Amino acid sequence: MSSSITERIAGKDVLGEADLAQTIDPGQEKQTLKFFFTPREALAGEMERLRNENPHAKATTFLPDLAAALRDRFPDAIGETTLYAGETTIYISLDGLVDVCRYLYDEVGFTYLSDMVSIDRFTETDRFEVAYNLIALKERRRLRLKVRVDEDDPLVPSVTGVWPNAAWHEREAWDMMGIRFSGLTDHRRIYMPEDFEYHPLRKEFPTLGIPGSLPLPPNESDGSLTRDQFPAAHGDLPKD
Amino acid sequence: MATDLSAPTGPLAAASGMPAGAPGTNQDLFTFWPRHNAAIYQALSDRHTQAEMAGGDGAAGMDPLESSMILNLGPQHPATHGVLRVVCQLDGETIDKCLLDIGYLHRGIEKLAEVKTYLEFLPYTDRTDYLSPYSNNVAWCLAVEKLAGIEVPERAQWLRMIGAELARISSHLLWAGTMVMDAGALSVFLWTFKYREEIHDIFDQVAGQRVMVSHSRFGGLAFDYSPTALAMIRRFCDEFIGQLADWKKLLNRNRIWIDRNVGVGVLSAEEAVRLGCTGPTLRGSGVEYDVRLFEPYLKYDAVDFDIPMRTEGDSLSRYFVRIEEMEQSVRIIQQCLDRLPEGPIRIDNAKASYPSKDEVYYSMEGMIHDFIMTDNGVAPPQGVESYSAIEAPKGELGFFLASDGTGSPWRVKINSPSFANLQALETMMEGAMLADTVILIGSIDPVMGDSDK
Repeated sequence: MSSSITERIAGKDVLGEADLAQTIDPGQEKQTLKFFFTPREALAGEMERLRNENPHAKATTFLPDLAAALRDRFPDAIGETTLYAGETTIYISLDGLVDVCRYLYDEVGFTYLSDMVSIDRFTETDRFEVAYNLIALKERRRLRLKVRVDEDDPLVPSVTGVWPNAAWHEREAWDMMGIRFSGLTDHRRIYMPEDFEYHPLRKEFPTLGIPGSLPLPPNESDGSLTRDQFPAAHGDLPKD
Repeated sequence: MATDLSAPTGPLAAASGMPAGAPGTNQDLFTFWPRHNAAIYQALSDRHTQAEMAGGDGAAGMDPLESSMILNLGPQHPATHGVLRVVCQLDGETIDKCLLDIGYLHRGIEKLAEVKTYLEFLPYTDRTDYLSPYSNNVAWCLAVEKLAGIEVPERAQWLRMIGAELARISSHLLWAGTMVMDAGALSVFLWTFKYREEIHDIFDQVAGQRVMVSHSRFGGLAFDYSPTALAMIRRFCDEFIGQLADWKKLLNRNRIWIDRNVGVGVLSAEEAVRLGCTGPTLRGSGVEYDVRLFEPYLKYDAVDFDIPMRTEGDSLSRYFVRIEEMEQSVRIIQQCLDRLPEGPIRIDNAKASYPSKDEVYYSMEGMIHDFIMTDNGVAPPQGVESYSAIEAPKGELGFFLASDGTGSPWRVKINSPSFANLQALETMMEGAMLADTVILIGSIDPVMGDSDK
């Protein structure tokens, strides 16, 4: 090793073939340093640009007529429609959710449920949002449906009757966000143990976790489970 | 499900004779896992299966030969590819019902994302599906770029494709090795790991990291591929394609391998869609869904490649799909290398991406923007949300992002392919032989870091 250090200092090739292009840019000394800053006024139309000309927008999310067609058929169930980055989101009322989903499955061809998302908008009136990411395989279209639900009674009708694979996604929404689904047969938590008392993705749940909410493994091999190693430090005194 | 879980029910509670404690007492502490198990066993006995419905009267209560038992496989079991727990109700050697218990690797990274800036979260994506970190990075960057409307230079898009396809080969290599090992043959494992090692060497040269590369950045890449790295990739492609042909000679007509896989875990196309399968599991059942074709990202619409498909829907067809996908990946990489344009690898816009080091070292504005990017980073508009997906080795990997206008996401939802495929595994297991569980787990290629988040 002693020789290789001096060799390295001398700049000799000790690591295999030399890779000069990586270290020396021939145009570097002549290159003028340029810098582009963005003045405030240039940002004025930014939101419009992002909404309409997103460089990553996909043709699959282009559904110009669907919301109007759905509104004709389900005048009470269809709420507002939003568009961002070429993606259409259609808000559905809780009562009409299953009917609209059944219609989309049977008549429009959205046979594949890719994903479900639960969102906590805790400052807004209807606190939770549940979004469904639907795919029409033959028509090559992707759609997002959304429902909103209040925190007093976060109960959403289950869509497992339409897409059976919604079951795990709904269990995840229950586990992480505390939203219940009426009609879901196996309503267990999916990640956390069954008797965990909190819903960790809610905004009021601290990122560090709640001390004592899970029994901790013992420090010694013959020790027993403990609630919290440092209850005083966490402001949570043991119960006995 | 019984809502009152304070008293443990089910076989385990009865067997252990565990006294039930009132919630909140110290006694209750020790009923923690039994209560979790009680819920699983209850759900298992409540579960209605397709086999039961077909059988008519069902076998409930009728077990004169006492051939019925409940078997736990995992979470600590080498064949479960991580920490997957499989609870099976057996009738002799046949699996009547099956439930999966996941979450043993739950780290709550969706929660962590809410207190990180978008860039700080990038290394966490390496650790979701830790067998193909490069494609996770690309998926995350594409998702944030879509949310914030950031453009990516041409060269970076081609290089990202090379990296993502290398990650696909690397992930499928690990799958091939462990899958054949699950079926009882060790040699393929050693050969595939030799080539996985070469891909790690390439990533070492590209990103300075063998596995957890974190090489993509918003608006491009952290740094360019060196000529050495490009030469290594070209050499790898030339050598690997011949090696793959050798492995196919060994396995495609191998009697033991075929008998072990054919007709195991059959999913029809309708079932695969109904159960939400994705990736090779879906395409092995004859459903033409590949995000590279469905909504082309990067430059996938500019290269020529095939999407391997099979219609049988069994474990063997998933093998063929993955092996042929590796060939197609090599084809894509070779086209990328041939058509790689010159140019910048990161967008020259300090509001959207890190400025180049030249600017940081030699200009005051550059340095300020470097700090701003590190502190706040990208801040998409308030209240917007978007979803962006790529075809990861295991299937559709998507990120749903909601922004509150700050540098940290309001909500990140990872649509992970392993999660989707594991849900289908419960149904695939029912009616299968106990000896096929390991083959079935292997055939859908789950990664628990991916499904458990």
